Amino acid sequence: MIKLDKVTKKYPSGQIALDDISLEIAEGEFMFLVGPSGVGKTTFLRLFTREVHPSSGRIFIGEQDILALPAKKVPYLRRRIGTVFQDFKLLLNRTIFENVAVPLEVTGKSDKEIEREVSEILEKVGLLEKANSFPIQLSGGEVQRTAIARAIVSRPQVLLADEPTADLDPFTAEGVVDLLEKINKELKTTVIMATHNVQIVNKYKKRVVSMKEGKINSDEKEGRYEAVQKDS
Amino acid sequence: MTKRRADMKQFKKTVKILRRSPYQAIAALLTMSLTFFVSSVFVVLIIGGQVVLNYIEQRPQVIAFFKDETPNSKITEIINKVKSTGVAKEVKFVSKDEALAIYRERNKDEPLLLQSVSADFLPASIDISVIQAQDVQKVTGIVKSYPDVEKVITPEDLVKQLVKWTTTLRLGGIIFVSTLMSISFLIIIMVVGMRIALRRDEINIMSLVGATRSYIAKPFLIEGAIYGLIGASVATFLTYVLLLANARSIQDFLGPIQIFPIDPLFFVYLWVGECAVAVFLGVAGASLALYRYLRIK
Repeated sequence: MIKLDKVTKKYPSGQIALDDISLEIAEGEFMFLVGPSGVGKTTFLRLFTREVHPSSGRIFIGEQDILALPAKKVPYLRRRIGTVFQDFKLLLNRTIFENVAVPLEVTGKSDKEIEREVSEILEKVGLLEKANSFPIQLSGGEVQRTAIARAIVSRPQVLLADEPTADLDPFTAEGVVDLLEKINKELKTTVIMATHNVQIVNKYKKRVVSMKEGKINSDEKEGRYEAVQKDS
Repeated sequence: MTKRRADMKQFKKTVKILRRSPYQAIAALLTMSLTFFVSSVFVVLIIGGQVVLNYIEQRPQVIAFFKDETPNSKITEIINKVKSTGVAKEVKFVSKDEALAIYRERNKDEPLLLQSVSADFLPASIDISVIQAQDVQKVTGIVKSYPDVEKVITPEDLVKQLVKWTTTLRLGGIIFVSTLMSISFLIIIMVVGMRIALRRDEINIMSLVGATRSYIAKPFLIEGAIYGLIGASVATFLTYVLLLANARSIQDFLGPIQIFPIDPLFFVYLWVGECAVAVFLGVAGASLALYRYLRIK
């Protein structure tokens, strides 16, 4: 269970990115976080990895208040959370295999374990045959799947996906969300996906949390993007 | 995975990074080698200077010649007076006969000089060695105060000069080597800083997927230590080769002052000492670069 309790993020410039947000996300849930660009979706996701520290409020993952964690414990928190970044953040001078292996390397796993676990994940995302390719040699969808593979290779409890379908054609975008859904079902990973892709949100009929001006505008089980927008 | 295996993996990774951009590494290594080579040369010069100083200090530094009519009791009184100061290491009486024997020994190849020289021609004397070179003046003052002493010979000026030289060498060495070490330190900060900048994306990604600060910092610290280790080793090796190649001419220059053969342990101590300082310098430089340039969220 993830719980946000009256979380506010105010930047030094005075801009309020998140305003008194309270929310609960069940373990193994798949949630779309929707809203127009600049509404605070990315800030919301970055709270969980402690890239952003809220100005007030509390955040729990399970029983743990993650804001109370000392800085040296933050890497261990991040190992429990997989992130698919909006800009992929892949290393262009490393192969797909090496990119996916990064989270395992930092935890000190042996080469043998890394070989086995990375191959397994690459197979799951359908990229095993591209293991020795470099990101620049892949299509947009394949790059996105690489980013997903890296995010889930260490079997995190929570998967955060920040606009994973941006810049993808509708067919490829659906493929990516199918993959996230598969991970959610098979690995019981909690998935929080920030998006403003109307077709995707409406097709998958998941929980939809809509944000507006840093606040939660609506929260609906099996919600629809249009409906959410109308409400607002 | 064991800690040793993880460290070895980090070490291999660091070597791989060094090989990918060798020019910065070469610049850092050359600076380190130069710094520690110059340090080695100064260490050798300072130790050599000390050996020369010790040799001269061990020689009789004050020789007082007595007038012919000086009674033995007076000579004994002077000897006791010098001994009572506590600064004399050795006071040796040389009688007229002993002086003749020394003269004959020194001039055995010059028969002309030996002709018609008897013990009466040579004065009796005392040879005084002092514990510390700066006490020569004190002892000279004491013996000169006795009217029975006809003449006093002292290499006081030479010792003074030598002490001055070794002090200057030490001071100059410290200033010069400190300057070079500062340059090396700054170059390591610069090189490691550049590497951090070049790998910023990778560092950010590693941090976001759960790498600890020590995991991220370790390759840079290993890099600093490698520069130190290789730099100090190259410097010691060059010093060894330089001394070995010039051993004959150095020994000829020093004459009776025996320096060679140098104990191999000296080079081992020099290498260990320089490695310790150089590794410290490399790791400290890398740490400062990490502190200055590694900003991870």
